Amino acid sequence: MRSSRFLLVALALLVAALLALATPASAIERNFAGSAQLDYQFVPTARSAQASPKTFDGFTMEFAAKLAVDFSDKISANMKVCYGCHGFEADMMYFDLRVADELNFRIGRFSPSFGGFNLRHDPANHRLSDKPLPYDMGRMLRMRQWKLSVLPSPFPDNGLEVNGTKAVGPSAQLDYAAYVVSGFKAGPNPLDIDFQLSHSPQAYYVDDNSRPTFGGRASLTFKLGETSDLTLGLSGMYGTYDPSNDLSYLIVGGDATLRFDKLNIRAEYLGRRTEFSTSDRTIFKYAVADARGDFSMKHGAYVEVEEGLTNELDLIGRLDGMYRVGNVESTSELDRRSSVIRYTIGTAYAIERGLRIKLSTELWEFSDRDALSGRKLELSMHTALAGSF
Amino acid sequence: MMLRPLAAAAAAALVTITASACQRGEGLDPSKMPESVRADYELFANRCSKCHSLARPLTSNITDDEQWVRYVNRMRRQPGSGISRTDQEGILRFLTYYAADLRRAQAEKNAPPAPQAVPVLTKENPPPPAPGATMTTTTDAGAP
Repeated sequence: MRSSRFLLVALALLVAALLALATPASAIERNFAGSAQLDYQFVPTARSAQASPKTFDGFTMEFAAKLAVDFSDKISANMKVCYGCHGFEADMMYFDLRVADELNFRIGRFSPSFGGFNLRHDPANHRLSDKPLPYDMGRMLRMRQWKLSVLPSPFPDNGLEVNGTKAVGPSAQLDYAAYVVSGFKAGPNPLDIDFQLSHSPQAYYVDDNSRPTFGGRASLTFKLGETSDLTLGLSGMYGTYDPSNDLSYLIVGGDATLRFDKLNIRAEYLGRRTEFSTSDRTIFKYAVADARGDFSMKHGAYVEVEEGLTNELDLIGRLDGMYRVGNVESTSELDRRSSVIRYTIGTAYAIERGLRIKLSTELWEFSDRDALSGRKLELSMHTALAGSF
Repeated sequence: MMLRPLAAAAAAALVTITASACQRGEGLDPSKMPESVRADYELFANRCSKCHSLARPLTSNITDDEQWVRYVNRMRRQPGSGISRTDQEGILRFLTYYAADLRRAQAEKNAPPAPQAVPVLTKENPPPPAPGATMTTTTDAGAP
């Protein structure tokens, strides 16, 4: 605990020294960018009375505005404000200090480097309306039962990240990132991470347990040709999330992306081990085992194939799913072992530069029956307009 | 209950109509570029679409070459960008061409309109008749 604080203070001093050494800007350059997506999700298999608490069956709107300011070749500032299902949120506010290609610092509020998808989390940057299930933020059907995904994206947090890139031979590149951030949050005696509380500006973005979360990512990109490459990455994150520092979470991930001209194939796995409070054993569906009975494991994975058929039209197919193992509340519709698999087919059509129509259909296969309808299969359809500038 | 499929159908119809009304891709048409820039454009399109849409750089309206250098340098150093130093050179060659094209377009747009010759009205060069009017005479009848 004391060493963590000492580390943070030392890093803060290092950053201050770097700032002092930085070359003064000859001219400050600003770049303003933004994006928005309006999506209509139609769930024909959902009963209208039950749709709302279980999923967004209707319109959702999200937008973001970003300002990047280049003070000099070595320093820039980035600020991004989003509006979505949780109202206005600060998605970014960090300083970027570039000492060398191999050594950069991000200080402030940012999305720590994890996995392959998070770089594309903005709806204007991915071709389907929905994120892959392991990163879903709330559009998934039966989201309340599942308590969202493995790592809902984006996951901005306050802290410091060291990252860099290094050429390895003529055709490979190594990227690394290591960070220390506040970490996810929850209330007292939690059963899972509270991702909404973790994002909430109502908590003034302050840490709830004064203990940072550590994480990192390493990836290798192999250049296969002028317009083709293969990226392989590994990520990890560890910390505590409850106010009393008793309950930990560990998230690990592996990702692979193959880009071959206009063909993109992406595959990713995420797993989260989350300890939960067993202070009240009467709330669980199953008897709490004395050994290894105080945690759940949530796995998630996706494979996505995206092919640019023309300059305007992309065709996308995705297979994703999640598998959860562990005790649940007695009121939960989930089992000790529950799974969901989703099959998606969709298109994205660029009607104008920066403006894209997205159409997709998703077939959901749950291992558990819906309490009211008794259904295991669900269907959903998306129609969206996404734009960026 | 009937409203939901109706709303979905209306939304689908709206986007289809919009799509048929305006058809232009997200990127640029390489066939309209000089031969020497096409390879650099393909590199730009490939590398820069890994994380974001091509509309970001293409609609940023940056016309300053130095600003592009800083911009691409910042992007290259984003964790996992996949942009190498060699790639950066090619991307900047295209963006320099693109910025010059933007500057040219802006200069044309901001240029003052070319002065038009004011016709001198004489007996030999009378004003044109108003639309629908019947030309009756070419004299200055009625003038003081």
